[in-house]
Amino acid sequence: MSIKAQLFITCLAEQFFPGVLHRMVGLLERLGVQVAFPEAQTCCGQPFFNSGYQTQARKLARKWLEVFGRTDGFIVSPSGSCVDMVRHHYPHLFPPGTPEHHLAEDTAARTFEFTQFLVQQLKVTDVGARFPHKVTYHASCHLLRGLTVRGEPKALLRKVQGLEFVPLSTEETCCGFGGTFSVIYPEVSQAMMEAKVKSIEATGAEAVVACDAGCLMNIAGGLQKVNSPIKAMHLIEVLTADRGAP
Amino acid sequence: MSQATVPIDFRTNAQHVPPKMPAAVQKATAKFLGTRAALVEALGNDLWQTLRQASHDLRLHAITHLDHCLERAERAVIKAGGHVHWARDAAEANRIVLEIARQHHVKKVVKSKSMATEEIGLNHAMEAAGIQVIETDLGEYIVQLKGMGPAHIVVPAFHLSKEEIAELFREKLGVDAPAEAEKLTQVARMKLREEFLSAGLGISGGNFLVAETGTIVTVTNEGNGRMCTTVPPVHVAIVGIDKIVPDWESLTVLLKVLARSATGQKITCYTQFISGPARTEAETGPKELHLVLLDNGRSRILQSPECRETLLCIRCGACLNICPVFNNVGGYTYGYPISGPTGMMFASQILGAEVAGGLAFASTLCGACNDICPVKIPITEILLHLRHRVVEGDEQERAVAPSLLRAGARVGSVALRTPWIYRLGSTLLKWFQAPLKHGGWLPKLPPPLNRWTMVRPLPVFASDFRAWWRTRSREAKGPQ
Amino acid sequence: MDSAREEILTKVRASLGRGPGSPVAPVPPTARVKSRTPGPLDAEIEQLFIEIGKLNGTTRRLVSKDDLKSALADLVKAEAVKKATCWTTPDLTTSDVAGILEALGVKIVSPQADKHLVAECELGVTGVDAALPETGTLLLRSSPERPRVVSLLPRVHLAILRRTVLRADLHQAFAEAKDAGYCVLVTGPSRTSDIELTLTLGVHGPKSLYAWLLDAP
Repeated sequence: MSIKAQLFITCLAEQFFPGVLHRMVGLLERLGVQVAFPEAQTCCGQPFFNSGYQTQARKLARKWLEVFGRTDGFIVSPSGSCVDMVRHHYPHLFPPGTPEHHLAEDTAARTFEFTQFLVQQLKVTDVGARFPHKVTYHASCHLLRGLTVRGEPKALLRKVQGLEFVPLSTEETCCGFGGTFSVIYPEVSQAMMEAKVKSIEATGAEAVVACDAGCLMNIAGGLQKVNSPIKAMHLIEVLTADRGAP
Repeated sequence: MSQATVPIDFRTNAQHVPPKMPAAVQKATAKFLGTRAALVEALGNDLWQTLRQASHDLRLHAITHLDHCLERAERAVIKAGGHVHWARDAAEANRIVLEIARQHHVKKVVKSKSMATEEIGLNHAMEAAGIQVIETDLGEYIVQLKGMGPAHIVVPAFHLSKEEIAELFREKLGVDAPAEAEKLTQVARMKLREEFLSAGLGISGGNFLVAETGTIVTVTNEGNGRMCTTVPPVHVAIVGIDKIVPDWESLTVLLKVLARSATGQKITCYTQFISGPARTEAETGPKELHLVLLDNGRSRILQSPECRETLLCIRCGACLNICPVFNNVGGYTYGYPISGPTGMMFASQILGAEVAGGLAFASTLCGACNDICPVKIPITEILLHLRHRVVEGDEQERAVAPSLLRAGARVGSVALRTPWIYRLGSTLLKWFQAPLKHGGWLPKLPPPLNRWTMVRPLPVFASDFRAWWRTRSREAKGPQ
Repeated sequence: MDSAREEILTKVRASLGRGPGSPVAPVPPTARVKSRTPGPLDAEIEQLFIEIGKLNGTTRRLVSKDDLKSALADLVKAEAVKKATCWTTPDLTTSDVAGILEALGVKIVSPQADKHLVAECELGVTGVDAALPETGTLLLRSSPERPRVVSLLPRVHLAILRRTVLRADLHQAFAEAKDAGYCVLVTGPSRTSDIELTLTLGVHGPKSLYAWLLDAP
């Protein structure tokens, strides 16, 4: 019986990185995963929750749980922060002991970020990828500290043929996105983004890899602003670089 | 600095950070983080995590039994010959201290570093009453001469160069000393010794208050804590009620984590344990000891189960050092003597949402502070609750966010959770962006998205997954 | 002010859902850490000295009264000591440190003299009530024979310790010290990095710390 994965595509990836989503589907299918897409999904509510609008976040959570709660199999997402929202904050939005709380806990327990899913659940680190370039890695904060996913992305990168990995001196330092932070305190966000870009440039890498659409929007924009040739890529793009889009 | 009533505008403050400040902050914090990391590594991570958990459990036990601990401490201080005063707020605390100063005809006060005294604006209150107050911690002394508050709770003057300090000493002290740390330190030592020896009152804070014996614990590297509490005939200690620990045994854990987290030392140079005034004159200590227990909003912080762990803080400054926001703006941006993540929690609660609610948002919630805090305060969880308090209100405060924003959130929420509106929105964004596209980017967008594009371009809206999926599914099924 | 006291305690209790007679749980076991098992005494002393050395303190071992005399002579010369003030504990009195210093031409100032006079002393001599090897820490109590200013005001602090004061760690030291009134843990000479993060010694407390182990009777 093959493994089933419900795609949790996330609002940001849907709007800005559709290619990542196409490639994620292709890769999962190649790994023998049966992929499904609950079409009624929208947004997990994280921007509301992080901005203090817990009432609104609860409504979005209810909707999300309504969509995904009735599915079976794993729920897989290319974004660490969205998965962190579901796994850590959803249960707390509902009073303990209530059916909603149970549903949140049960659904959260089978929700995984992409690299978590590949390495921890599928036990796969080598997907037969090839990307002969110099690459560095930025650890998204919610992935790193929220989900404690530290080694999985790098384990996958290590198995990519031809890839030369250079460590980023500020790998674990926040890039300055922080969701609504980036628009509430743009100057501070800018300072943090510029520091991140400088340290990426200092590695001599051709690409910087991350596992979160928010970080990627911020870092890619920062690199574009200084006309840098360095590409900001989602890990999935590196893992599928040697294939055309499916 | 007195209790702020004007809202703290973090954004405007951040826009006015002096150009040299970020580099100065980062130099200071990198040093402390480095020495801290070396000591943690030497201890071993397992032991360090055990110590953190123990420190957390101790402090939590203390504040969840705060009434009992405070009464126990009071009894012990009185038994040891000290006086205990209770201050509900800053004004009351200042009145109490002024009254003690008046009773002893005090003209000059020497003070060791105390965040509590900065919080209540003690210096201003005393100076308004014609009493000279001299900060004796070298960093505090320097910023006091400059007419400023501390830029970091552990190293208040880190942002000033030796040249600036030499110039300051020339201007304010009339002393011409070379711009060398050693020589400048000697100038301060000489000047301050005279003050220590002639002051009528010494004021300190308290790093901890031990309930078991009513002991005030102070830690300093310089020795000014000892000077202020030994040399003048009267000692007044202002200690927040949150600083209590149950017993001396607690300190065997807390002293292990405090200095390591603050300055990367195994233990601070001088750790004093003051139980009442000197028992005999021959001991050469103060004849009189007054302990002022300060509430000033702490009992209200205690009320909120989500936020009460704010009070576990032992003021080590590690969260400041690791915070990427702090590292780019420095302490003054927060508009409160305690800055960084712990300052954000404190200020927004002590000053209230209306004055300091914006501080709860001055974080990307990266969580680095949670991991470094020696007493395991769930800082980002508390900040999340404080944001909720600002925009939706809770049992303690009503919402203060502008009603327009709150209405916008409700509208946005409906749009985002209604699939057809969400899908329509995605499509409309792709259409309306057409004239603004530049390659694969949107470099300039109208408000409110201009707040994004003023810093960097936005990628173009490009949603196509649903259509792609549907096509693919149809093709997979084959011709019907 | 009584009303302030009542108001604060009432608020605290209300916040915690406690009343005046509410039970007090014991400190949880997770909040305690194990005490350290000390090694052999000579190794402990060795470690103590190493740690003090790391903090720019100077250590020395004395095995006879003659040793003490010559060490004091060296110190007086090296630190240009003209005036000194001393603890008057039985141990220091027996070793006659004050007498030896006077014989070296040093004026002995009473610790109870006017503090300006005490502050003029270059040297303060104390004993040590407990020594902690892990951190090179010296615990000094306070009593009529142990005036606090002796280890604080002079530029040089000489602490003379006996092997019997070595303690495993703070657990042990605290058990003995907590009911004895004031005490201070001294770990190295006074220091600061407040100016450009550059370490300087001798801010307000002593600039030099000497720790001598006296193994003579």
